[in-house]
Amino acid sequence: MAVTEQPDRALKLPLLVGTPSVKACCHTGGGIGACPEAPVVALVGAPNTGKSTLFNALTGARVTMGNWPGTTVEVSHGIWKTTRDAASCTCEECTCDPNEQRRDITLIDLPGAYSIDPHSPDEALTRELLVGVPEDERPDLCVVACDASRLANSLYLVAQLRELGLPMMVALTMLDVAAKSGITVDLDALSEALGCPVVGIDPRRRTGLEALAAGVREHTGIATAPRPVLETTDALELDDDRFAWISDAVRAGASAPAEQPRTFSDKVDRWVTAPVLGPVIFLAVMWLVFQITTAVASPLQGFLDGLFSGPVTNGATWLLGQLGLGGTWVEGLVVSGLIAGVGMLLTFVPLMTLMFILLAVLEDSGYLARAAVVTDRLMRSIGLPGRAFLPLIVGFGCNVPAISATRILPSSRQRILTALLVPFTSCTARLTVFVMLGSVFFGPYAGTAVFAMYVISIYLVVLAGFVLRRTLWRTMGAEPLIIDLPAYQVPTLRLTASVTWVRLQGFLRTAAGIIVATVCAVWLLQSIPTTPGHAFGDVPVAESAYGAAAQAITPVFAPAGFAKWETTSALVVGFVAKEAVISSWAQTYAVDQPADGTPGTLGERVRTDFENSSGGHPIPAALAFMVFLLAYTPCVATLAAQWREIGAKWTLFGVGMQLVTAWVLAVAVFQIGRLFL
Amino acid sequence: MYVGSDLASAPLHTSLTLVHAPESCRKRLSCLGLRIGARFSLLSRTAGGGRVALVAGSRIALGSTLLSQLRVEVR
Repeated sequence: MAVTEQPDRALKLPLLVGTPSVKACCHTGGGIGACPEAPVVALVGAPNTGKSTLFNALTGARVTMGNWPGTTVEVSHGIWKTTRDAASCTCEECTCDPNEQRRDITLIDLPGAYSIDPHSPDEALTRELLVGVPEDERPDLCVVACDASRLANSLYLVAQLRELGLPMMVALTMLDVAAKSGITVDLDALSEALGCPVVGIDPRRRTGLEALAAGVREHTGIATAPRPVLETTDALELDDDRFAWISDAVRAGASAPAEQPRTFSDKVDRWVTAPVLGPVIFLAVMWLVFQITTAVASPLQGFLDGLFSGPVTNGATWLLGQLGLGGTWVEGLVVSGLIAGVGMLLTFVPLMTLMFILLAVLEDSGYLARAAVVTDRLMRSIGLPGRAFLPLIVGFGCNVPAISATRILPSSRQRILTALLVPFTSCTARLTVFVMLGSVFFGPYAGTAVFAMYVISIYLVVLAGFVLRRTLWRTMGAEPLIIDLPAYQVPTLRLTASVTWVRLQGFLRTAAGIIVATVCAVWLLQSIPTTPGHAFGDVPVAESAYGAAAQAITPVFAPAGFAKWETTSALVVGFVAKEAVISSWAQTYAVDQPADGTPGTLGERVRTDFENSSGGHPIPAALAFMVFLLAYTPCVATLAAQWREIGAKWTLFGVGMQLVTAWVLAVAVFQIGRLFL
Repeated sequence: MYVGSDLASAPLHTSLTLVHAPESCRKRLSCLGLRIGARFSLLSRTAGGGRVALVAGSRIALGSTLLSQLRVEVR
């Protein structure tokens, strides 16, 4: 098996728009799908032409994003609410005001593609949706976003689509950037040369959108006559013909100075991509991202955590007591299940919001493309492009936003591979456990032991990347770096907020169910007694189904030297959240949790258990435990983020891979370590 | 047959003509305007040994592994 992900199935457009079973009026309902009669307009274009900005400007928050069924290519779709010339709603149960001049359009934001030649999963999907499906399932209109400042390079896709005679028009973006470079565009002349309507727009400042709406209304469903093509099967000759046509169109519709002036972006790039200074600037930017996602979000997380574990829990307990349900399993379910689960989900909101804002700013400003250039050679050594550096770095703060950050990678295969590697980066939640175990077992060498975990973490990323790259990802070619560098722009508040909101919604939608369900499941297992004499919801952990399950899996860890149910139950809780490992031990051993990171009584109990389970080799057993903790599933929130970004199949594959890796490494560390320590 | 020098040794800020590109990435380069016969120049060196090329108004970053495979003529 190898990861190829060429979408070779028939992809049906109606799957996207979510056709309801009963035809509703276009103007009722607040769902994402427009009415069945709403025309479908596909937004296509090369990367960095402002296509997604345009999509956000047209649809606002009425957007759903998700991977195309059967692929990991992300496609957004939403409703574009436009005005219309005449009330022509054709819904069966129309409730339209005849004076209201509105018309909803289902807008699809297809992946960025330079052409419809299927060289990547993104391009293959674009081709499939535009020309691979039956004619009645094709979009009613293609709007091709083209960059006026790089007109010739934007028109290759237009040339190909014109040969097919699809209903289409061109939305010309970046006219302001073009003007700064001395390029002027005659929209009418360009339209005549291209043989399709051309509208000038600025999606960042939301100008020209009315003209675009008018053009879309006028040309939807109206096919253009196909551009005559050379009768040849030679691809090079065909390309020459296309480039000649593009050249003629550019000559007719635009004029540029003979000598390209140095732009602001060129001046900045002299420093930002420079051989020595470039990496320094990149590291400074990464440090800032790391700081913001950890240091700034941390107090907010602490506040929300305190809010849920304090006033919200106390309030709910009081309320349930007033209702006569105090001390019952209902209280346990509400407080330890629902409130704990929702609280855990919400503590991630500040972190994820900050991460999404930073990603949006880095993308919108144009810096991300430069970061990819600067880190390309380093990341290429493990078979990943330079951009993969960002999620891997962020992973050392928290794996959850790091998984979401993998969406900056252009290829779906690269996204999956990176998302599988991120959990091997040692997050700060694991650090708290490492520090505690380090001080218990390694005394003055605690810092060295913790540092060793970070070194092992880096090696794990490199090793796992190396192995996956040469097995499942062996068909992913090592393509050389070729990146179109967009001009630098000041990020706009509205676009940043819009993108952040859409991404945060997506995360919460997926993560809510998984996190709350898992926390409730742990509560349920801890509430079911396995010995007589205990009521449901009022049972010591050791005598609950949870304790029984921990005892059942304990022998598995005998070769790793920590086969005690108290230890393995902490690993089970650690599956939900690593922060809970120490509190789980405190609960199991019925001692106070150390407040200042010192081992205390808890440390003594843990050390005693490790000594007993390891046959007198507590240090290699503790090291094995730390390595296991480092390599197995980080937390349920990371799984939720993976589920959203790479789908259920790869998430489960990742869980299996991490568990196997963690067990093998832990056993190896203990078995080798016991020979010396 | 003379096929020019490789791009890694080409000077910056000089008009160049692409005379050869490897088959594997010819299409991708063409889509960005860098096709056989296209005139362009190199703007700067990048970290990792690459170059930024100015092609018909676009700035294209090219990785170091690609440079030695691209043949150009200085005009």
